[in-house]
Amino acid sequence: MAVGCGQPSGPPPSAVATAPPVPAGVLTIGSVSLNPTQEYEVVRPFADFLAANLHDVGIGRGRVEIVGSLNQIVEEFREGRVDLFIDSPFPAVFVWQHADVEPILRRWKRGSDVYRSVVFTRADNGVESVDDLAGKIIAFGEPFSTSGFLMPKAALVSAGLRLVNYEDPAASIPRDRVGYVFSNDAENTMFWVLKQKVVAGAVNADYYEALAGDRISELRILHTTEAVPRNVVCVRNSLDPMVVQAIEDLLLEMHLSDEGGASLEAFEETTKFERFPGGAEQDLALVMTLLPHVQEDLGP
Amino acid sequence: MSRRISGREVATVRLGLKGRFVAFVSAIIIAFGVVLTALSVRAQNERLRHELEDRGKLLTTVIAANAADALAMIEVRELRKMISEARDQENVLDAVAFDEDGRVLTDGTLVNPRRHLLISEAALRHVSGSEALLVEFDGDAMTVTKPVHLGGRVLGGVRLRYSLASLAEDQASLARRTATVGVIFALMGVLAAALLTEAVTRPLNEVIRATRALSKGELPPRLPVRTADEVGELAEAFNEMTRKLRDTTVSRDYLDRVLETMGECLVVTGPDGTITRVNPAVCSLSGVGEDELLGQNCRDLFRAPQGHVSLLDALGPDGSAHGLETELLARGGEAVPVMISVGAMEESAGRTRSYVVVAADIGERLRNEQQKDEFVTMVHHEVRAPLTAVRGAIGLLAGGVAGELGERGQELVEIALRNSERMGRLVNDILASRKLDSGRMEFHFEKLEMMPLVEQAIDSTVAYATKHQVRLELSERVPGAMVRVDPDRMIQVLTNVLSNAVRFSAADDVVIVNASRRDQILRVAVSDAGPGISEDFREHVFEAFARGEHEDWRHRSGTGLGMSISKGIIEELGGAMSFETELGVGTTFLVDIPETA
Repeated sequence: MAVGCGQPSGPPPSAVATAPPVPAGVLTIGSVSLNPTQEYEVVRPFADFLAANLHDVGIGRGRVEIVGSLNQIVEEFREGRVDLFIDSPFPAVFVWQHADVEPILRRWKRGSDVYRSVVFTRADNGVESVDDLAGKIIAFGEPFSTSGFLMPKAALVSAGLRLVNYEDPAASIPRDRVGYVFSNDAENTMFWVLKQKVVAGAVNADYYEALAGDRISELRILHTTEAVPRNVVCVRNSLDPMVVQAIEDLLLEMHLSDEGGASLEAFEETTKFERFPGGAEQDLALVMTLLPHVQEDLGP
Repeated sequence: MSRRISGREVATVRLGLKGRFVAFVSAIIIAFGVVLTALSVRAQNERLRHELEDRGKLLTTVIAANAADALAMIEVRELRKMISEARDQENVLDAVAFDEDGRVLTDGTLVNPRRHLLISEAALRHVSGSEALLVEFDGDAMTVTKPVHLGGRVLGGVRLRYSLASLAEDQASLARRTATVGVIFALMGVLAAALLTEAVTRPLNEVIRATRALSKGELPPRLPVRTADEVGELAEAFNEMTRKLRDTTVSRDYLDRVLETMGECLVVTGPDGTITRVNPAVCSLSGVGEDELLGQNCRDLFRAPQGHVSLLDALGPDGSAHGLETELLARGGEAVPVMISVGAMEESAGRTRSYVVVAADIGERLRNEQQKDEFVTMVHHEVRAPLTAVRGAIGLLAGGVAGELGERGQELVEIALRNSERMGRLVNDILASRKLDSGRMEFHFEKLEMMPLVEQAIDSTVAYATKHQVRLELSERVPGAMVRVDPDRMIQVLTNVLSNAVRFSAADDVVIVNASRRDQILRVAVSDAGPGISEDFREHVFEAFARGEHEDWRHRSGTGLGMSISKGIIEELGGAMSFETELGVGTTFLVDIPETA
């Protein structure tokens, strides 16, 4: 998701008007989604809220630009058509590395500031570690999910395993590889493991216990990934610093007001925005390290 | 209105015919409506319940069919979507998809708090052995479990908890609608009943009003006859009754005028004899004013008849009496002989009687009777006795006691003798007639055989008949027939009838006597072949001194008292007397006497 401050539009404010004129500036938020209609409905109110509160810095209107891939959003930034981008750490770092943007804040979602993933298996199947997954198949969640796919996959690859994507969970996997399938759903992943449709699975660590329920004793955790920021806010570097500062200030204080809190809740259950505790470079260092292992999964 | 029961005043409502009919019909309609409504509601409730259950079963079956692939592939996300959509369906309270072990895969929510929980043991047992629906009812809900099998393998199933609460709402709504319709129909029924009753009772009310008018002495107008049914017949009958009443009823004024002008005294008393009304004749005869008489007891006005302590005491069991002779006590102590008839009027069955006393002044009649008696006594003493002496003297003259009479003298003596005998018969008849009239004729009853009396009478008349060249013939007899009569009086009657027949017979005629029995009545028929009795005289045959206008009758008849006396004697003997006649053919006198066993 990216936010852009494009060219002014509409007539200049009238000198004789009694009401304060609406600024001509436009703040554009960019977003990557394969479901643009639904995404637009989610992002548009947030963009409007920001624009409504940035009149002092010349922003009079919010706009949403939805594209189908990270490369496209990178291109949008390069062209200056997007001002702001908010996404999970791997896509954000990818954009950061390929476009002239700067991560300024991180986002809490659903009360959580970081992501961890859990790789688990049935306790009775003889798999004791991730190394035992060789020649077996593991289920990940959705292809764009940081906790369900990118992080665990990057972790397994960094552990020296060679992961190969399969369509069929029952496919025969060579001994030197770990096959993986997308279950497209954390519950699917959990039940597939429990019912031995796959040998192992990876889910968000926050949901693992809830998904396992009273059958948690039947499971064994093979690996828990390191924490990474849950979401990252990137801003176009060429944007007016005064506007950037105003955006930063607005986002940091949104959760303090009822109106801002309501807007955050509607925006994918956002809890709040805050600065990187250790700075963007440090807090995103692990992601930058792991990113090469999933680079090909983020898009062409 | 109110009535008193055990000292308490109890209010009651009296419904008229219309009210009762409306209430009755309304009760029937309402009862019928209630039963019909209840049955209808029950049937529709059953139908609604079945429909609702069927919808729940069908929904579960469809979801289970759609979920089969997802269950087979353990596509929980797909199952969640289906179950979520199922939960959005009307009346679905809860839904889950479960695996072959009966563990919940999803309840359609992302949180899915029941994940891995087991469904009920009963449902699990059912799922493992059947593909059929399992329906469990629990209060206002039912739980439908649909197992999903594939190739004999249990994949799991879908379980929906379906609310039947809407059924109660639908049933209540239906009951309200049905009840509303029922109430409307009931009201329409009651209205129809009221209209029908009005149609029926209106003519009855008209009859009631007309009857009340009639009771007040008014003659109501003719009632309209609207229909040809029983009500119409009632109106017609009422009209007929009023018409006849109009023809036969006299007005009170008219009645008062009759009472005022009637010569007889009329006294109306209460049950205890208290005088409540008198007519002017009473005042005139008693010399007492009406105001003074009213309130008196009738015993103060009438002396008690002989043998009774009061007038009321002389009344029969039915409260009436006729021909009572007593005296009316007039002012000044004068007693006026009166003949009284009393009639009782019952106001209602067994209730108070009123008495109507009609008294006729018989003073004049008694005076006439007394004069007759004095005349008879005079005849007896002043005529009969001298006549006997005259007849004796004439007899002596005829016997030559006074010397031989010449032929002319002999003729004159015989004439005198015949006329004196005739006068003697006349005097005897007059005395007998008077005795009969006054009830002083003596009778000596005996049980006798009838035929000897008849033969004796014939024997007594043979000489007279022979003298007239008439033959007497007893053609039929009733041997052994017994009667209880005074034999002398019986012979007197028969002799009179026979001699009468002889008198009206021509020379050489035969007077035939027949005796017969019929229904324990003995009949003696005396037939002559005389001229017969003219039509205008027939009704006077038995009157005293009746001799007819016909010259021949006047010539042939005797004193004119014979038949009258004979009839009086026969009636005193308990019989009857009559005749049959035909002009130019003859006459038959019939004497009937009851036979005695």
